[in-house]
Parts: sequence; structure tokens; C-alpha cells
Amino acid sequence: MNNNLAIKIINLFKSYENVHAVNGIDLEIKKGEFYGLLGPNGAGKSTTINSITSLVKPSKGSIEIFGKNIEDNFRFARSKVGIAQQEVSQDWFFPVEQLLYFQAGFYGVLRKDAKERIEYLLNKLGLSKHRSKKMRELSGGMKRRLQIAKALVHDPDIIILDEPTAGVDVELRHDLWTYLQELHSEGKTILLTTHYIDEAELLCERVGIIDKGKLIVEDSVNNLKKMVKNSSIEIQLKDELENKPQFLNDYEHHIEDKKINIIIDKPNMELPSIILKFSEKAIKIEDIHIPQTSLEDVFLDLTGRKIND
Amino acid sequence: MIKNWVGFYTLSSREIMRFFSVWRQTIIPGIVTTLLYIFVFGVALENRITEIGGVSYKIYILPGLLMMNVITNATANSASSMLQMKLLQTLPELLITPLSSLELSLSFIIGGTIRGFVNGVLILFICWLAGMPILNLPLTLLFIFLVAWSFSSLGLFVGQLSDSWDQLALIQNFVITPFSFLGGIFYSIKMLPAWAMTLSQVNPIYYAISALREATLGVSDASLITSSIFLIIFTITTTVIAVQLMATGKKIRF
Repeated sequence: MNNNLAIKIINLFKSYENVHAVNGIDLEIKKGEFYGLLGPNGAGKSTTINSITSLVKPSKGSIEIFGKNIEDNFRFARSKVGIAQQEVSQDWFFPVEQLLYFQAGFYGVLRKDAKERIEYLLNKLGLSKHRSKKMRELSGGMKRRLQIAKALVHDPDIIILDEPTAGVDVELRHDLWTYLQELHSEGKTILLTTHYIDEAELLCERVGIIDKGKLIVEDSVNNLKKMVKNSSIEIQLKDELENKPQFLNDYEHHIEDKKINIIIDKPNMELPSIILKFSEKAIKIEDIHIPQTSLEDVFLDLTGRKIND
Repeated sequence: MIKNWVGFYTLSSREIMRFFSVWRQTIIPGIVTTLLYIFVFGVALENRITEIGGVSYKIYILPGLLMMNVITNATANSASSMLQMKLLQTLPELLITPLSSLELSLSFIIGGTIRGFVNGVLILFICWLAGMPILNLPLTLLFIFLVAWSFSSLGLFVGQLSDSWDQLALIQNFVITPFSFLGGIFYSIKMLPAWAMTLSQVNPIYYAISALREATLGVSDASLITSSIFLIIFTITTTVIAVQLMATGKKIRF
């Protein structure tokens, strides 16, 4: 048993009739780690995290939270995890503050003990002014904030956020990012699912890319980017080429007016020699640009598709 | 075994507060409907059916009306609360918490039971004002409680299996209401043909009404012992079924 693991998923399968939503996932997330599950809609991200919270019953496989099986130790496992679902819930009956007291109570937190935590979350997530409002009076962004407050109300060690910024405005997205970084710095383990590349790149220490129910690769963001084979160098010429120089045929390339795009494995290493070759042929270069590799490129490289196709 | 007592208490309180917060929909209609029944059926038919079992017709129908209200309210509360939580996506937020299926089921059942019981007691008071004797108050309250509990359990079972309000209405309209009417609210089953009498003897609502009639008026079709035994078995059965269904996670965990 690895005492350093917060979440361990072993050979997880989940099928709905003939559809394999999750197809043999093994995943280990360390204590205090900020882990991102990246993948397109329908890739199996939500099914995987809902399996962790017992909302989904796996067809096969097992899950451990801090080394304990989630079925045999369901009270322990569930008390350690807080999850904000992708779908925003509704409640017709009770005001915001009362909903938070209920949620804390379900986790076994007494009202008097929950008070301070609820006050903190109401302030932190900008809900203080709305504490007496019912959910139907809240904007979409406020409902999302409440959703996150509910996930955090029992002060869990593991926070799971399923597409937390889907459909929210830029301001809230940035506020949430800042808050998640703060929670991470406090030592919380965070599992984030997203199909926003920038979100995963900014926040996550490690990213797992999931597609068609399989975890196809996982590593740090930088290491994943290094895996991309087809990087490129974009060269803007001063004048249009009269004759294509012979050396260009050594590279995969595209020419469009005065712009040449050279597809290459290690653009930074190859750049000096390429510049030299242009110089030897007296071809004047106006600008050179090496596009940054993103996780989108990683996904494209691995699957042949864009993540948000 | 209940271990998460705070969670169990919180969810039970939520269920009770939920129906009290909309008391105009959950308390008042039952009272109004019962008053209408008393006036329309009691007054209109009293001249045609003077008495049954030595009790005036207006009084004879009151325990049945009371029980019908208890049954409707108890069933509706747990069924609608469960279905509403499913449709509004609040159920997943409950299912991820460290509450066991026993704790979840009993909390929903308690919510429905209290609503049924509160309605029952209010209507009992109205019936008493209308002249209905209450020969044995503790037994009367016990029967109201048992019936509220059993039908609240049944409501939870139905609510968990339902995917829409239409399905819930189907159960209410085509099972609960007909069984209530066939349970002898407005008549003694001795007035029925033989086949209908036989059918009534497997209808739990018949025993619920009979038991209450015996406890309040001292008259009934089924003996007090038979009704009591049937109601206790029915309550245990519906509770076990509701808890077991919750444990399977059918239609709520996927």
C-alpha cells in the first residue's frame, strides 16, 4: 500500500449496455497533487469521477481513497471527498445559507461547528449578500459558486471539480482559478476535469488525457508538450521566393506567399542551422516564430482529433 | 445500523421543513377536501343511508376520510421529494455524502410519516368537532402513525422508481385512489358483492380504515386484532422493500 496516494483507481471499467464509458482506467493521484483529467465531451471523465464518489457503480475494478476501498469504507471515503458536479443543482425550498448547513449536516458536521466554515465560504465565494436568497433568485455564476461552496463545506482533503468553469464568465473563471490555487497551496488534493486547455495548463501539476474511456497518457504538462512530434518553425520572408531552395526539400514544409512553415521535431535545436541555410542562399528573413506547443497539440498528436471537435 | 446520526437528523429535518415551507400545498388542501367530503357526502347521503353498524352515516365515513388523507399525504411526500431531488439534480449531492441507504431511506420515510401524521391529527380534530367520538385516542394515533409510515415507505419506493411526474401521477390515480375507495371509506364491505368483499380483504387500505373505525367508533368490518396484525406486517414489509431498493441504487446510482 502506498501511503502517499490520495486516490487510486485500479482497472476501472464501466459499460452501459453496449457502450463502454470507461474502458480499463488505472490512475494514481498523490496527496496534495493538482491533477487534471483532460478530454473531449463523452471521453469518460465524469464517469470516472462519479465512480470515485459512488454515484456510478463500476462494472469492474476498484477505487481506494487514502488506501481504503471506497465500498468497504464508504463513510470514510465519502467524508474525505468533496465534489462539485458538472450539472448545477436546483433547490426550490431553502435559502443559500440553509442549504450549506444541510450539506454540512449530511457529512455529520454539527450546526455550531459548521457556522465558521460556512461564513468563510460565503465570504470567500462572494455569496454573503445572497445568503438569504433561494436558488431561483441566483444568477448562473452564483449557482456555480454555491455548488463549489457545497463541495467544500465539510473541509474535505480531496476536492473533485467536474468542469467547474463550464459556462461561467471570465471573471468567475479567474476567481475560481485563484481560489483553487490557494486550496492547492494549503495541501488539498485536487482532481479537475476540464476540456479547457488553458485551465489544465495553468493549474495542473499532472494531466491525464482521456479519450474513448481510456487514459491514453499522463505526465506533467511540460513533459506532455515535449512528446509532440510535429512542432514547427514559421518563417516570414522579406520577399517572395523566386525559386524554392533545394535544402527545403529536406524538411516537411508548406509555403504560402512569403510565409514558410517548416514541420520539425525539435524546432529550438534546428533553428540556427535553418537560419544559416537561408543566409547562405541570401534569402532575407523578416521574422521567425516558433509556435508554443499546447496540450491541444498533444491531444491532436495522440488521437488525430482536436479536443473540442 | 444508524451511525451518521447528525446526517440522519439533518436529512429528516430537511424533509419535514420542506413540506412545512409549502404548507398551503401540503396541509390546507387535505383539510379543505375533507370538509368538502363531509358536507357533500355526509350531508347529501345521510338522508338516504341513515346508519351503518349503529353509527350515523356522516360519522361512519369520517375515519375513512381521515385515513385517505393520511395515505395520500404520506405517499405524496416521500414520492415527490425523491423524484424532485432526482429531477433537480440535488439527489447526487445527497448520495455522495456518508449517509447509508438505511439512513437515507428512513429520513425520507420520516418526512412523509410526519406529513401524513400532521394531516391526520388536524383532520381528527375536525372530525371530533363534527361529532366523531374517539373511543381510544392512543390507539387512534398509533394507527394513524403506522399507516403514515407504511405509505410513506411505499411512496419512497415509487418515487425512486419513477422518472417523471406522469409516472408518479399514474400510481396515485390508478393505484392509491382506487384502493382507497375500495377500502370501504364510504360503506361497509358487507354491502359489497362476494367477489368484491374477497378482493377487499387483500387491500391494506381496508385494514387501515377498519382499524381506525374500531379505535374511534368501536365498529368495523375486520376485527381489531386482524387489522392490527395486517398493518404491522404491511408496515414492516413496505419499510424493508423501500430500504432494500435504496440499497440497490436502482435509478439513482448508475
